[in-house]
Amino acid sequence: MAIRELKVCLLGDTGVGKSSIVCRFVQDHFDHNISPTIGASFLTKTVPCGNELHKFLIWDTAGQERFHSLAPMYYRGSAAAVIVYDITKLDSFQTLKKWVKELKEHGPEDIVVAIAGNKNDLGDIREVPTKDAKEFAESIAAIFIETSARNAVNVEELFQSISRQIPPLENTDVDSNESFKITRQPPPSARRCC
Amino acid sequence: MYLRCSGNRFNQNATDLLCKEGASFRFQLLRLKMEGEGGCIGNPSSANMSQQLPLLAETHKLVAEGERDSVFESLEDTHTETMGLSAINEQKGGTQVVNPRPESTTVCLTDSETKLCGYLHKQGGPLKAWKFRWFTYDEKKCQLFYYRTAQDVNPLGKVELRNATFSYPLQGEEGTFHIQTPERTFILKAANRDAKMYWLQQLQLRRWQHRELLCSDSSLPMPEQHTQNGRQYLDTCPANFLPVVKIPSGLVGVEAANVPVQTNPLNVSIKHPLIEIQNSVHSFLLRRPSAEVGRSVFWVESSATQADTPKTNFSQSSNSEDSFVQTLSPSSVLPPDLECERPCENLPARGLSLMLPNGKYKKANSATFPFDRKEANTIERLSHFKQENLTLAMEVQAQKELVWLLHKALEAAQLEKRACAQYLAAENEQERLELLRHDARCTADLRERLEQLRHENEALKRSLEERDAHVKELQDSLKLLMEKNHAKQEVIVKLSEQVSTCMADPKRAVSFERISAEGLRQLVQEMDNLKDDMEAYKTQNKFLNSEIYQLTRLWQNSSEQEKSLMVKCAYLEANNCQMESRYLVVLRKLQENKELPAEQRVVIKNLIDEALQADKRDAIRFDSFRDYDEYGFKIIPDYEMEDMKLLAKIQALEIRSHNLLQQETGDRSLLARWTQFLGGRSPDDLSSSEELKNLVRAGIPRQYRASVWCWMVRARTHTLRQRHPDLFQKLCKKSQATPHPAARQIQLDLHRTLTTNQCFSSPSSPMVQQLQRVLLAFSWQNPAVGYCQGLNRLAAIALLVLQSEEEAFWCLVAIVQFLMPKDYYTKTLLGSQADQRVFKDFMAEKLPRLLAHLEEHGVDVSLVTFNWFLVLFVESLPSDILLKVWDAFLYEGTKVIFRYALAIFKYKEDDILKIHDNVEIYQYLRLFTKTVTDGRKLMSIAFLDLNPFRMKHVKNRRAVHMQRLQAELNELEKLQNEYSSENNQRKDNVFDLIPSEDDDDA
Ligand SMILES: Nc1nc2c(ncn2[C@@H]2O[C@H](COP(=O)(O)OP(=O)(O)O)[C@@H](O)[C@H]2O)c(=O)[nH]1
Ligand SMILES: [Mg+2]
Repeated sequence: MAIRELKVCLLGDTGVGKSSIVCRFVQDHFDHNISPTIGASFLTKTVPCGNELHKFLIWDTAGQERFHSLAPMYYRGSAAAVIVYDITKLDSFQTLKKWVKELKEHGPEDIVVAIAGNKNDLGDIREVPTKDAKEFAESIAAIFIETSARNAVNVEELFQSISRQIPPLENTDVDSNESFKITRQPPPSARRCC
Repeated sequence: MYLRCSGNRFNQNATDLLCKEGASFRFQLLRLKMEGEGGCIGNPSSANMSQQLPLLAETHKLVAEGERDSVFESLEDTHTETMGLSAINEQKGGTQVVNPRPESTTVCLTDSETKLCGYLHKQGGPLKAWKFRWFTYDEKKCQLFYYRTAQDVNPLGKVELRNATFSYPLQGEEGTFHIQTPERTFILKAANRDAKMYWLQQLQLRRWQHRELLCSDSSLPMPEQHTQNGRQYLDTCPANFLPVVKIPSGLVGVEAANVPVQTNPLNVSIKHPLIEIQNSVHSFLLRRPSAEVGRSVFWVESSATQADTPKTNFSQSSNSEDSFVQTLSPSSVLPPDLECERPCENLPARGLSLMLPNGKYKKANSATFPFDRKEANTIERLSHFKQENLTLAMEVQAQKELVWLLHKALEAAQLEKRACAQYLAAENEQERLELLRHDARCTADLRERLEQLRHENEALKRSLEERDAHVKELQDSLKLLMEKNHAKQEVIVKLSEQVSTCMADPKRAVSFERISAEGLRQLVQEMDNLKDDMEAYKTQNKFLNSEIYQLTRLWQNSSEQEKSLMVKCAYLEANNCQMESRYLVVLRKLQENKELPAEQRVVIKNLIDEALQADKRDAIRFDSFRDYDEYGFKIIPDYEMEDMKLLAKIQALEIRSHNLLQQETGDRSLLARWTQFLGGRSPDDLSSSEELKNLVRAGIPRQYRASVWCWMVRARTHTLRQRHPDLFQKLCKKSQATPHPAARQIQLDLHRTLTTNQCFSSPSSPMVQQLQRVLLAFSWQNPAVGYCQGLNRLAAIALLVLQSEEEAFWCLVAIVQFLMPKDYYTKTLLGSQADQRVFKDFMAEKLPRLLAHLEEHGVDVSLVTFNWFLVLFVESLPSDILLKVWDAFLYEGTKVIFRYALAIFKYKEDDILKIHDNVEIYQYLRLFTKTVTDGRKLMSIAFLDLNPFRMKHVKNRRAVHMQRLQAELNELEKLQNEYSSENNQRKDNVFDLIPSEDDDDA
């Protein structure tokens, strides 16, 4: 079984539950008073995927607006980005759109984008309708899933779908990222001319 | 006090003896010749007595030689070593009473000296000015009258001496003394100290005499007689405490009246303008100073009431007025017929003189014993009545005088009438009738007046009788008391006789000894026994002392032993911990090794489980160790992650071993160093110095940390605080009224701050509320920063240490606005980002090998170190090291962060160099700060190994990187703007591209 290291970064407004999702995913633990992330935190988790082992190198970033400028350090070279919003906060959905834009502008061109609508357990105070979010995700060909770090809903699934989006190593002998790039990356000329 | 009294008594006895031998003389001063004087009676209990006895012997000798006066007078000048004695022989009723008297009393013996008078300064009036006054003492009334001049007739006032006390202040002008009467205090000033003493002693004496006069019975002779006979108030005299001052020549007495009066306008009495005028008129009209003293007394007493009556009646005849004055003059001192009525009595023998068998005299005198209060009261009342009696007698006398005068006047008038009748016979009838009628009317009028006066006289007589009866009564009671007193005195005399016999008679002493010889032997025996006992106790005491000493030494030894054993134990335990941790590391390594056969894997798994289980068993052992430190931090952090348990255990063991080794030495010596440095100074008022810098780098002991932090924060924020003294309170109010946009984020982060700390673990903890206020206030203090995630941790640490909202607020201000470079926490965190690049530069300089290794494995240290800088290692370093970093940071500034960040890497350099995998390095770096256990080692790396480390260098690098970053940022912004405008132009979504990609795939 070959191990593939996948760098994943979590983006999104502060307080939407990025760290909680990571914590749930890595330690299967939920803390109501989880410390706000300063800079970023790094965690790993290995999950089997087909006949491969995917070792997620998760960079959980700080959500506050002023930490945005640091984000490139984390999403640089990432295979996937999880952009999280809080379904009870419309603002966080707007921030999500900004992140999508920034990724498209400055992020790795072959990056897998996953949109996670967190705090699914708080459906009664929902501000962002699933439909809207789903439509938006579809419009950018991103993974969409609603999660609850608290209730451990769809957290595993979120990472599994990212795994699935990563093309298997067999495609190329050299480097998965390389092949990924080939398949996913639109020709640079195409982008520039547009 | 007792010694004095007894001494005095002895003096009296001595003089008694002299008198008994028929010596009638007076002596003024005696020099005490104490040294080498024979005849000293050995009374060990009275030193005073033994001093005075030689005096007696000498006196005796001198008397025998019959050359007393001349010898004594030659001794007159000596004061200090002299004892005033005056022996006056009084022969009345066969009793001889001789008393020791102050030398000054001899002054009273001649007429000219009798008068106590003289000029004194008197302080008075609203201005408290000194006024020069003529003072004269009236014996009868015991009053001190004062006049403006000696020639004045009317006194300006009087001082009642009967109940007066005398004193003089130690400070103040020379010669000042006070007379305190129940009504007021007179402040007087004599010319000099001697004069003052003279006055005081005289006044005391007069007061005493007056008192004696009043309480003596009817046998007391008249005061006039005393004066005339030259024996005055010889019964008693106040005890002699001070050498008697001799009469200051020219300052007191009648001759002092010749002193020219000051013509100071201030000297005029303001209070008594009328008396002043009267006095000046009198001195102008009657320049007869000899009669004035007598007249002045008369004036006060009777001029206003009785002298007026005849005056009006005989105003037409100047002759009669003259005669009136003349007739009154002789009786003005005292009516002669009243003298016999006066309740006077000769002096009784106050003391009984006793001749002792050995020729020494003893005498007890009642005067030396205070009267009991009841007696004194009666006496006072009696004296009061006596005085009244006297006054009434005087009045009666005056009335009689008046009647007599009226008779005379009537006679004169009749004579005149006869002459007139003769003369008028020649005139016309009508006129004569008129005159006759007039005369008749006059006569009738006079008769009427006479009758009136008679009535008055009778009434007065009656009241006098009543009072006499009362006085008799009181005298009876007084007699009773006197008898009692006598009895007491007798007892005292007997007792003192016995005492003196015992002391003086050697035979008796011997017999006494003989009698008590048996008892004495017994006593000696007893004493010997007691001595033996004492000796025994002494030895016992010595023994017990040695016992205590030995036990103390033993205790010290064993406690030292215990201490060393504890250290040893700690050391061993630490060793054990280290061994255990190494064992666990090995287990972990083995666990990771997938190539091991399944069997061994199971064994390893079991071993790990066992090791982790042991933790629970260890709980007992760890109990002695606190879970939380003084600031509420967990001493051994726990890791929730499953795969970290082994690591956590390893680390816990390491921390424990470190703490065990450090505990004894480190903290205590640090505290000692600080205490020595402060040397009693307050730790919140220091001044920066190299020594202090080094101390702060070593860490501030918990006892002083808050104060020193306070001082450091104040030093940084000094000017701002002066400009805005109540800034924090104002900002608190402001943030309540209008919340900063960051308030929401602050609220969100409040309960997520230092959650592992005891003080912040509960949302209801007061520290959380404080944190909120501090952060909200700060958001308005620095709107450009507002709130940046991470500031909550800084504020929390400040709160934990400073324990004060306001100080924590200022600490936050100090860090963000004064310590950190610009733009560290603002919108783009430009300063922070720049510092990351600066840090990389330093890594390249100080740790080139490590940086190369990290770069080789694609590790970007900024991903790890960014928050070290932003939140000053909070939640990265263990709390004890963290606070030491903060100590130094608050004192020195940001350079400290670089030093420590580099030191951490250097501390763990070897470990990191061993890891050759990107992810593993990251994983290692994620937690490696928490495994730094040796704070002292880290400190020495930071401040010694990394030298030289210049702030200038840091600043230069910062400037360079800031510029570059700013340029990059600008470029980025430009690109963004371009991009968005492009987008707007094309009006299509950037994401449209992606479906087209998908299309491609398809
Ligand atoms: N109800 C609920 N609360 C959540 C959930 N996930 C996170 N939270 C809470 O949201 C807050 C912010 O979470 P955090 O993970 O720090 O967000 P981050 O800033 O995006 O990392 C925390 O108080 C969490 O307890 C969730 O699924 N449901
Ligand atoms: Mg977070």
